[in-house]
Amino acid sequence: MTSKHSSSKRRVRPEHALALALALSGCAGEVAHDAATAAVSVPLGLPVMPHPPDNPPTAARIELGRKLFFDRRLSFNGTMSCGMCHVPDHGFTANELRMAIGNEGATVRRNAPTVLNVGYHPRLFHDGREGELEAQVWGPFLAHNEMANPSIGHVLDKLRALPDYRGAFERAFGGRRPTVETVGQALASYQRSLVSANSRFDRYRYGGDTTALTAQEQQGLAVFAGKGRCTTCHTMGEQSALFSDFRYHNTGIGWLRGLPQPLVEVQLIPGLRTTMTAERIDSIGEKVPNDVGRFEITLDPDDRWAYKTPMLRNVALTAPYMHDGSLSTLEAVVDFYDRGGGGAPDQSPLIAPLHLGDDEKAALVAFLKTLTGEHQRWVDEGLRQSTFMTTLNPITASGPAPTAPHGR
Amino acid sequence: MSKLKVTALAFALIASFGGTLPVQADETCNSPYTTKLIKGQEDFVHVWTLGVKGMGDESDKLVTVDVNPKSKDYGKVVHSVTVGGRGEAHHTGFTDDRRFLWAGRLDDNRIFVFDISSDPAKPKLVHTISDFTQKTGYVGPHTFYALPGRMMVQALSNEKDHGGRTGLVVYNNKGEFVEKYDMPTGRHGDVMADGYGYDIGINPQKNALLTSSFTGWNNYMMDFGKMVKDADAMKHFGNTMVMWDLKSMKPQKVMNVPGAPLEIRWSLKNGDNWAYTATALTSKLVLIKQDAKGEWQAKEVGTVGDPSKVPLPVDISITADAKGLWVNTFLDGTARYFDISDPEAPKEVYQKVIGSQVNMVSQSWDGKRVYFTTSLLGNWDKKGGDDQQFLKLFHWDGKALSEKFSIDFYALKLGRAHHMKFSAKPVNTAGLKERVAELASNR
Repeated sequence: MTSKHSSSKRRVRPEHALALALALSGCAGEVAHDAATAAVSVPLGLPVMPHPPDNPPTAARIELGRKLFFDRRLSFNGTMSCGMCHVPDHGFTANELRMAIGNEGATVRRNAPTVLNVGYHPRLFHDGREGELEAQVWGPFLAHNEMANPSIGHVLDKLRALPDYRGAFERAFGGRRPTVETVGQALASYQRSLVSANSRFDRYRYGGDTTALTAQEQQGLAVFAGKGRCTTCHTMGEQSALFSDFRYHNTGIGWLRGLPQPLVEVQLIPGLRTTMTAERIDSIGEKVPNDVGRFEITLDPDDRWAYKTPMLRNVALTAPYMHDGSLSTLEAVVDFYDRGGGGAPDQSPLIAPLHLGDDEKAALVAFLKTLTGEHQRWVDEGLRQSTFMTTLNPITASGPAPTAPHGR
Repeated sequence: MSKLKVTALAFALIASFGGTLPVQADETCNSPYTTKLIKGQEDFVHVWTLGVKGMGDESDKLVTVDVNPKSKDYGKVVHSVTVGGRGEAHHTGFTDDRRFLWAGRLDDNRIFVFDISSDPAKPKLVHTISDFTQKTGYVGPHTFYALPGRMMVQALSNEKDHGGRTGLVVYNNKGEFVEKYDMPTGRHGDVMADGYGYDIGINPQKNALLTSSFTGWNNYMMDFGKMVKDADAMKHFGNTMVMWDLKSMKPQKVMNVPGAPLEIRWSLKNGDNWAYTATALTSKLVLIKQDAKGEWQAKEVGTVGDPSKVPLPVDISITADAKGLWVNTFLDGTARYFDISDPEAPKEVYQKVIGSQVNMVSQSWDGKRVYFTTSLLGNWDKKGGDDQQFLKLFHWDGKALSEKFSIDFYALKLGRAHHMKFSAKPVNTAGLKERVAELASNR
């Protein structure tokens, strides 16, 4: 593989540099330059982060967005923040449950996706119902089963009354107070700062380090781009890779979830399982809400049970997988696609049996684990957000604990 | 106050009882430091009740029921205090002087302090602690366990990821935060400590503080049916118990007890050195006892119902003479009585279906009156017609339970009935003679 870039950081494009300069000129923060540069320069393997012209990144906006992101007071009953479902120690998702829960434990139908590199998504949520981060943030704020605020004004009133926010919006937004727009812009600025790349894969493919991947991982990359046909949807470019076509596909997993299950296997403790009948589960559980995917937004029958292709960067940190979190391990995901998906009647023709050998599947999993990136400054700040006890997952301040590839 | 001062104070107070603190209470699961005991008929049962959306004022409340058979209001709700909103009301505990009842909420982490002694018929909310999580980083104040002049609180979760890692917190009786202690994590001997918490049980004579382990906010707030189908969520239940040195508040031993060991009940007999717990997921009775070398060991000694059907043992209540143990199984709504004369070999000798679901059990000191309530957790209770919510009183003659009254908490628009505590009217001169006679008749 030839080297595409000798540096691990990308340059800021001229048009973005201009926007940055304009932003800095109106920014009172003395650390604005360094912080904003950190926000818009990206690690090896990622393209330049797109920023909307009316919301250029500044240190004050990013820092304010970070505070908002982790502030539990901004949910109706003070228990939820963005960071409770997008947990920094869990790769900015939630590793301990398949589908999120919100206010008073209310059921959320889908898995909390990671917000690492979320700034690259042209549309947001698994069904793509929102087009920009600035607007997206109000969805969870107001959803009855997430943060459950009764109105936009309720959130704004709270922010305007909290003494520790006094002056913060005005400093970040040229004298403007908390509004539906500035709250969205601050949170969006923070989320766009959550970039992570310069993984071993990036150093191998884009950095010219031919020793960055082991032989097995290189085999996995070949399967990924070849026999496994993963790159059909999880795309890689010549200079960067986002690992998503950002389109919507019916892999059959949503259809599978809707099938009746007369018996459910339940793990009681490690190594001890039992089964529960559907009747018993119905007696203790609410009715499972239906989920038809992208169709709910477009009403196009071709979009039934179709969900957006997720990016695969940091995939080893973001279990469980799929839009419903129904697959716990990367091995299970590879097996699912090797079988040809869920077998839904209207399944995407892109999903078909792969007939991978055991060594190929193992290599593919090994390769996926090389996509764990180094995190930029604001990711690290998120990891340091909570000082409670020990780090739950072995993510270091500068990224996951490095694993030396064999044969290096 | 510094940790040193706390532990020194605790030690001094323990020492002042000569190491043989009287282990007595009206209800056998109270802290041994609880004073002002009721030896006879309790007058009131206070039920910490979860508000239900769409029902009444939809808020959590402390409901007071008159349970004195000589009262004109026997078996009736005589008072309720609404605290506002729903925050997953769960457990309560008396201060050591028995004047105040602390009641916690597992979701929004508020702790409400009620004055019970001024007028037990009309508890009054006198203080609210709203910064539990800000002070500690923990979530889910669960068990409230009196220490001399202090209240120890076991939390269930944390604000970092809503998982099960958590800790113990000590307040003074004014409601001021004093100290926190993380549950142990990492390898302790041959056991991997999970850092989870649930209940507290203290044996002062042994300087022993025993804790158990449940699960974090992610699970206890999740719909029960959704959770059992979530293989990743089911991986996150506690599998350990911890024996602490009470005076130093240092963990001494972490013991493997798989399957979410919940309530802890020490034998209340002077000199005994054992406690019981039941595991919710694996339906085991576990004995925690010192071996011949004085080392604490956890040992499975029996099963509850058919473990393969996951009956879900929940609350347990030990008799004052340590010869009997009530064990409720939530999913079949059954109360089971075990003969534990030999604590190494418990035998189920009686069972009765109390309702479609049952959770808490509390008995009078003489064991003759046994109260049951129904709610486990707001999102774990049964759905539809099986979601019965009641307080029932039964009399126990040593052979069978006979129902005396039942109060339908849904019919009264109160909510989900959970934890119970007893209280009694203050004895005045005019009523003293009658009271003494009543006490005598109950012995």
